[in-house]
Amino acid sequence: MDQKFYEELQALVGEEAGPFSANDEVNKAMVRHWCEAMEDSNPLYTDEGYAKKSKYGGIMAPPQMVQAFCLPPLWPKGETPPDPLAKAVRKLDEVGYAGVVATTTSQEYFRPMRLGDRIYYRVKLASVSPEKTTRLGKGYFLTSEYIYTNQKGEAVCTQSFTVLKYVPATEQRKEA
Amino acid sequence: MGWKSISWGDVKEGDELPIQRREITRTTVIATAIATRDFTPVHHDHEAAQKAGARDIFLNILTTGGLIGKYLTDWSGPEGQLKKLTIRLGATCYPGDTLISTGKVVRKYTQGNEHLVDVEYSLSVATGPHAWGGATLALPAREHGEA
Repeated sequence: MDQKFYEELQALVGEEAGPFSANDEVNKAMVRHWCEAMEDSNPLYTDEGYAKKSKYGGIMAPPQMVQAFCLPPLWPKGETPPDPLAKAVRKLDEVGYAGVVATTTSQEYFRPMRLGDRIYYRVKLASVSPEKTTRLGKGYFLTSEYIYTNQKGEAVCTQSFTVLKYVPATEQRKEA
Repeated sequence: MGWKSISWGDVKEGDELPIQRREITRTTVIATAIATRDFTPVHHDHEAAQKAGARDIFLNILTTGGLIGKYLTDWSGPEGQLKKLTIRLGATCYPGDTLISTGKVVRKYTQGNEHLVDVEYSLSVATGPHAWGGATLALPAREHGEA
């Protein structure tokens, strides 16, 4: 893509959005469902008796689950105003960079998510790489930073998340 | 059930975590995508995945994170507390793959009143590492013990 397009993407860098609220409170059913799919038997997540006697005093969610509470619902659509990452993704979709794949994520955890907690997040687009050629196709690496807090405003997690938005190689073959 | 947790005093730098294997089926990919609330079509829709240049539906990154967390706390026991996790994604994980998890303690240290270890891990498929990176866990400090 041309320089002007890249500058338009760059203009979104630094833009922040939120706080957005998770759709559901941290709850036993979602946590158990996660553990069932992962085959995770950690008793802090599903064994009430064990969790009660632990230093947490009750069931907590797996820390890596924080993002799952905050993903947009399948329905109804469009309730969350578009964040800067979503804007950049849409811009790239429009010009044929239809593929998306996560490449790197890094999370730091500050406190447990207990049953009944409500998670909120803010997101900032931290960087957009120049166009790169990858094994999937040519594309841009978009890095966003998330700050997750609970209903008391306490820090739960910070995350850096990088995705590659690319032109799928099959499409490039078609063009060639 | 008696749950054992590893204590910081019993861990040495260079210790290897027990290897784990998980057969990834189409059901695994879809069940984990839904449990992680990731409805991106490439994780459940074969045609959408092929359009995106993949040969089949594939595991989503939240699941990779979930599986790494399980791998780490299966080793540490429930008193091991995940503090940091970095995931780099490499080879795509498809139905039919066997994910093999390995890990090694690379650093043991204290910070404030926390007893920490850094672990380097990898989750591999036949074509190479699917995910690799580092994690920091806080472990109980006692020398020997059982929860």
